[in-house]
Amino acid sequence: MTKIKDTENIVLLGIFLGVIGAVAALILAYFAQLTKEPIEKMKMQATNNALKEVLPAFDNSPSTDKITVKSADDAKIDVIFFGAMKDGKLVGVAGQSITLKGYSGKVKAMVGIEPDGKIRTVAVLPDKKEKISAVLITEQSETPGLGTVVCDRKRQKTIFSIFKPEGPEAKILPPNPILDQYAGKTAGKDPWKVIKDGGQLKYITGATISSRAVADVIYRITNTYKVNKKEIIAKLSGKAAAAK
Amino acid sequence: MSLVKDFTKGLWKENPVLVLLLGMCPTLAVTSNAKNGLGMGLATTFVLLGSNIVISFIRNIVPKKIRIPVYIVVIACFVTVVQMLMDAYAPPALNAALGIFIPLIVVNCIVLGRAEAFASKNNPIRSAFDGLGMGTGFTLALVLLGGTREFLASGSLFEIKVITPWSVDFLLPTQAPGAFIILGCFLAAMNWLNQRNAIKRGEVYIPPQGLDCRHCSLCDLNNNEE
Repeated sequence: MTKIKDTENIVLLGIFLGVIGAVAALILAYFAQLTKEPIEKMKMQATNNALKEVLPAFDNSPSTDKITVKSADDAKIDVIFFGAMKDGKLVGVAGQSITLKGYSGKVKAMVGIEPDGKIRTVAVLPDKKEKISAVLITEQSETPGLGTVVCDRKRQKTIFSIFKPEGPEAKILPPNPILDQYAGKTAGKDPWKVIKDGGQLKYITGATISSRAVADVIYRITNTYKVNKKEIIAKLSGKAAAAK
Repeated sequence: MSLVKDFTKGLWKENPVLVLLLGMCPTLAVTSNAKNGLGMGLATTFVLLGSNIVISFIRNIVPKKIRIPVYIVVIACFVTVVQMLMDAYAPPALNAALGIFIPLIVVNCIVLGRAEAFASKNNPIRSAFDGLGMGTGFTLALVLLGGTREFLASGSLFEIKVITPWSVDFLLPTQAPGAFIILGCFLAAMNWLNQRNAIKRGEVYIPPQGLDCRHCSLCDLNNNEE
């Protein structure tokens, strides 16, 4: 019998590869079991963090008090609404949806909406009197430096500010001129357009497509809310009441 | 002594990125900033270390005919574990930025290259040091490249602004063409340094022999010729 290292027997080779594969599968199964819960938690946490940013103070758990509605336009994309309750009253709704019109695919947004359909204003910057809107882009793969300027709310860190204690502005969302122009807006009959297309929304030169995509997804969320307002409010209030 | 050598050769003399030019896909794609480079480097180091040790342990029982598939299964196993651990514990922003390039460590030439060229011929301890050294060299090169690109693009390092008045990003270095240009500059600098050192010592600089296609055993070029 030749040594296994030099064997040419195809059955032996097959068995050997099978055994290696089985051992690998066992190890993977063990790790999959081990990391299942932390992965779920991580995903929940990402949604929870975004919800906390765009919703007013709440005492329920919006990430479970949610309903899914097909969007009011022709695309029929799922829009998920999360309800924020305080003392048994609906104080705000967060809508989450996607658009496929981004420069490189999917753009996912989370928008905080007042119960009457207006996009929430989270804060007013004291020095510029500029409003910060409750609009967050939670997932995107736009061009770094162009499309991401439209989507990102990044807190700028400098070498001088690392050791400084955090000021009050560390607690509010960082401003983004494109996302903040939606503060206080209500969905009208026609979809929102950027200036280049004859609308009124500002856009970033070189990132027109990303700006359009953002306008598209935010309009989809607010419009879907406006169209299905009664149903959404009734269902979300009912869900929170049932949870109690 | 030779253990130290096994480790340090990955840092400079046989640096996988700057000398061996292996694993160019993740190198060029994820190093748009220093943080991504560090994340990718550490993930690859973990896979290299693990796969080198395991492959070295089984080197005497793996049939020669199917060694490459067996190595790939071992490597894929480690990569999937890394992927799951990153999904569970890594910062979401880093995980999203590295995205598809974590599963693609499987086909990273460095990992299979080290398995075939080193781990399948040496004992587990030496293989571990070789894997660690190669991984560290890869990480260093990626952080250096990422840091340079990030600094040239926006004057920041690890997402911290170093030059504060710098407000508008310079896009070229963050995109693919910038990656090629800067990597080219790095390679030129590396070769120039090596050559200058050799001339100072009064020798002629010869690139490491193992890098020559004829000396690599991966595609069995020699055996076919005979």
